[in-house]
Amino acid sequence: MKVTARINKLKRKVVSTPKAICAERAFLVTESYKETEGEPMIIRRAKAFQKVLNEMSIYIGEGELIVGNHASSCNKVPVFPETGALWVEEQLDSFTKRSLNRYLITEKEKDILKKILPYWKGKTVLEIAPKLLPEETKAVFEQVYPVISPTLFLRNGVGHLVPNYKVVLENGFEGIKSEVIEKLNNLDASRPGNIKKMQFYRSILIVSDAASNFAERYSRLAEKLAAEEKDLVRKEELEEIAKVCRRVPKMPATTFHEALQSFFFLQLLIHIETDGLAESPGRFDQYMYPFLKKDLQEKKLDIEKAQELLDCTWLKMNEINKLSDVPPTTKYFGGVSMTQNIIIGGIDENGDDITNELSYMCLEADAHIRLPQPSLSIRIHSGSPENFLLKTVELIKKGGGKPAIFNDEIIVPALMNDGISLADARNYGIVGCVEPISSGNANGWTNAAMFNLAKCLELALHNGVCQLSGKKIGLSTGEAREFNNFEQVKDAFVKQVAYFIKHMVIMLNTWDQVHMELLPTPFVSAFVDGCIDKGQDLVEGGAKFNYTGPQGIGLADVADSLTAIKTLVFENKILTMEELISALENDFEGQENLRLLLRNKAPKYGNGDLLPDLMAREVGVIYCREIEKYWNPRGGKYRPGLFPVASNVPLGGVVGALPNGRKKGLPLADGISPVHGCDVNGPTAVIRSVARVNHAQATNGTLLNLKFHPSALKDERDLKKLISLIRVFASLKLMHVQFNVVSADDLRKAQQDPENNRDLMVRVAGYSAMFVDLDKKMQDDIIDRTEFML
Amino acid sequence: MNTIINSGVVFNIQYYSIHDGSGIRTLVFLKGCPLRCEWCSNPESQSLKPEVIVLVNRCIGCGNCIKICSEQAIVNTIEGNIINRNKCIACGKCTEVCNAGALQIKGKFYTVDDLLEQVMEDAIFYEYSGGGITLSGGEPFFQADFTYSLLRTCKESRLNTAVETCGFVPYETIERCLPYLDSILYDIKHLDTDIHKQFTGADNLIILENVRKLAKTDVNLIIRVPVIPGINDSNNNLIRTAEFVKELGLKELYLLPYHSLGVRKYSQLGRKYKLNINPPTVERINEIKEILIDSKLNIYIGG
Repeated sequence: MKVTARINKLKRKVVSTPKAICAERAFLVTESYKETEGEPMIIRRAKAFQKVLNEMSIYIGEGELIVGNHASSCNKVPVFPETGALWVEEQLDSFTKRSLNRYLITEKEKDILKKILPYWKGKTVLEIAPKLLPEETKAVFEQVYPVISPTLFLRNGVGHLVPNYKVVLENGFEGIKSEVIEKLNNLDASRPGNIKKMQFYRSILIVSDAASNFAERYSRLAEKLAAEEKDLVRKEELEEIAKVCRRVPKMPATTFHEALQSFFFLQLLIHIETDGLAESPGRFDQYMYPFLKKDLQEKKLDIEKAQELLDCTWLKMNEINKLSDVPPTTKYFGGVSMTQNIIIGGIDENGDDITNELSYMCLEADAHIRLPQPSLSIRIHSGSPENFLLKTVELIKKGGGKPAIFNDEIIVPALMNDGISLADARNYGIVGCVEPISSGNANGWTNAAMFNLAKCLELALHNGVCQLSGKKIGLSTGEAREFNNFEQVKDAFVKQVAYFIKHMVIMLNTWDQVHMELLPTPFVSAFVDGCIDKGQDLVEGGAKFNYTGPQGIGLADVADSLTAIKTLVFENKILTMEELISALENDFEGQENLRLLLRNKAPKYGNGDLLPDLMAREVGVIYCREIEKYWNPRGGKYRPGLFPVASNVPLGGVVGALPNGRKKGLPLADGISPVHGCDVNGPTAVIRSVARVNHAQATNGTLLNLKFHPSALKDERDLKKLISLIRVFASLKLMHVQFNVVSADDLRKAQQDPENNRDLMVRVAGYSAMFVDLDKKMQDDIIDRTEFML
Repeated sequence: MNTIINSGVVFNIQYYSIHDGSGIRTLVFLKGCPLRCEWCSNPESQSLKPEVIVLVNRCIGCGNCIKICSEQAIVNTIEGNIINRNKCIACGKCTEVCNAGALQIKGKFYTVDDLLEQVMEDAIFYEYSGGGITLSGGEPFFQADFTYSLLRTCKESRLNTAVETCGFVPYETIERCLPYLDSILYDIKHLDTDIHKQFTGADNLIILENVRKLAKTDVNLIIRVPVIPGINDSNNNLIRTAEFVKELGLKELYLLPYHSLGVRKYSQLGRKYKLNINPPTVERINEIKEILIDSKLNIYIGG
């Protein structure tokens, strides 16, 4: 299907409009907070949301069919003082000066922000939470070269959800309101705790009306524009928009157009309530399909028009943006991705494949739009239709790194092992980058922190002393020079990991507690299963399932390092611990030959070699087992993940020399991918190796990057072979894989000439971004990934 | 006749090869070749014996190789370490002490069983894609007995098998392998006997005779022509080749455009690369496709 002229025009607008800061939301929220002082926090949050929706500027862009704006004009980003006051204030003068993730701001808006930000002094999570940490944890938190990077939910909202969109599509906010009113009427106020529940229900009533009124404002605007419109075709479109927005999300959707508009309002409003990332629509092709099917059957809509509406929705998702924090967030999330993950295909609760017409249209929409949002993923299983995979690899071939592939064959049992039912597990969605979660009923905190496994190994080899600062920051686990067997090395590593995980949990549970008090999210709580039943906001643990998911980074570097110690030092005795530790202390200065010995003469993870592969499995197990011991304040357990977002580059920056021959400060391997350049036996060997990691245990997700040179995907026959590769991936029970199909040469050219390569999209980590928006180190890291070429 | 030889010299095992036969395949490169094609992109494949290659840019000048060499075959020069090929016995000791990977041995003895074990690592990929093993080289039939044993053992493991051959071997060598061979990827380099001899060191009579015989057998025969600018890419030769392929009763012809990826290997082996040509342009390849349209053969570019 062809891309329509309308879509091309709308895309040009999105791509060419520079990002800018909008002070409107911040102003309205601040006004509201001032008005509601003394009221229960959840009511204050609901009223602030309501005030923003009632008073913010709205517009309908030229040619738009799906409407709704995040801030006062295209590509403007709202400010969230509730979470960001401190860092926004600090960076107010530098937003326009950044080389990456630059935001324009008018003097007038800057003045507004300067006036209101002082109100938030001492009222944000960022200022309150760290003060609550116990002394020792506080010291760990403040380390200059840290093991733990836990600041995402300290400096921003949480997000990271797959809400239940279906419940609003089918019942509308009126339906939700009647349910809540009934709950309120039946609530026995004399029972302890129910007063609080009452506030929660009242807040849901406020946000429901706010959402309906917001849509009503668009309806009126569309009517007005229609009245003024000379072009008869556009006039009719505007009248249709007016009709649609009068109905949804207040009432149940009855057509595909209404369903898409209702969906987009939800997606937009989630991003107006908080600045959380990774607000993921989940199984979009499933809950949207009934509306499409009905329209097609009743001939209310033809397939071309349906595709255009879908394309419009895809584009609108790229207009939802967040002001990015720098530092440290941008370092870890190169290219700033909202990672709104839509996942298509896969099995239903009976185990049958449920790929449908809309699944294919989603792939088509992505091929039409070619922008980072949504983060499109597919679910694969042993019975995935060949044609679906063919369309998938055709999209992969285009080179934007989408879609990512997730494997039902391992994710379903993994989630069941986490204690959820078969039906819930089979209905999983993906949060953000790669985090599998039960759809519509979980609050996963899935990107809670980055945990640097490589730094733990460094500390284990130097008796807790950081090689960058020379200070003791870890446990005293003994002088590694005196270790005389491999088990001692491993034990020291395990102890460092356990020590830092404990402190990480203290930090994250503290943040969690403060979110609970300060940042209830009644709007999204209205459609996450469990909240209304329990009468509890998401932040309090209202969702049916609750987790906290921190990621271990540096698996391959640690595995290769331990393998080198085991083989070269203790088995073959080519090297002593004394020589090794001294060389590491000196960052291999003057000892290049020794470094090369470690790099080239010990087997490496990623080549199908049993020894390093099993070492990688063991490192994963050490991390996962330790994480699984802990619980969060929402009553949920900790779930381990093994993926990096884009943190492998900055996290490498704080790690000293390692026994795999890696010098100080260089990037770590990404996710569970092998160390760049160490996987020399091609993609099948990588898949065999990675299959040896215990994916089922890393329930918060694993990430594998494969990079192919375009010559490996020339024609239909090559595509068929890639499909076979993907089917083996499913059969060997890996969890996730994503592909970059681009040559290192082309990437280097884009680095030299960003101006003419603005459209080059690449896979960074669990998301795609425009290559030229990444910082140089991240660009180099992607160029450096092993490229399979034939 | 059917001798079982259980070990042979292999210089590379390449997984996920997708342009040399059906499905996902593993390419096993055997050493030794009866031809000396000037454009050969695998010069390390020509001699049957293991050889040491030098990657000068990796050398850090540690001198370990010079110290350990029992034959005094390695000398340090301004251009880096150089191996005196007359003295070198390819014992490989220098490669073991070279941490930088600047010295590498090309050619390792494998038993059939060890090789099969390596190849079967990717068995699941063959199963899903209809792939298997492809023997390449060098000339696989040059190690006639080893290739025979290997193919027979592979077939016992129900592997799909293919051989890439230059065809310059006694027909019997190929014939006895046929029961264990699914496909033959057969190179035809030039139809003119003299030119063939000039650039490959041997005439093409046996090659053409063998392929005529193979065309009458059940084996899946695929003809491939390396397109070498200025040597065999004249319209006349290409048209004649296409006609020849048609006469064999085949329907497909694969053109493998010359590439220069193998050039740097010559200096690594201490040899000189004689040709000075550029790969054919995309336009020229398309032009060739046009010219061959009349042949009614399906023309493919690449493996």
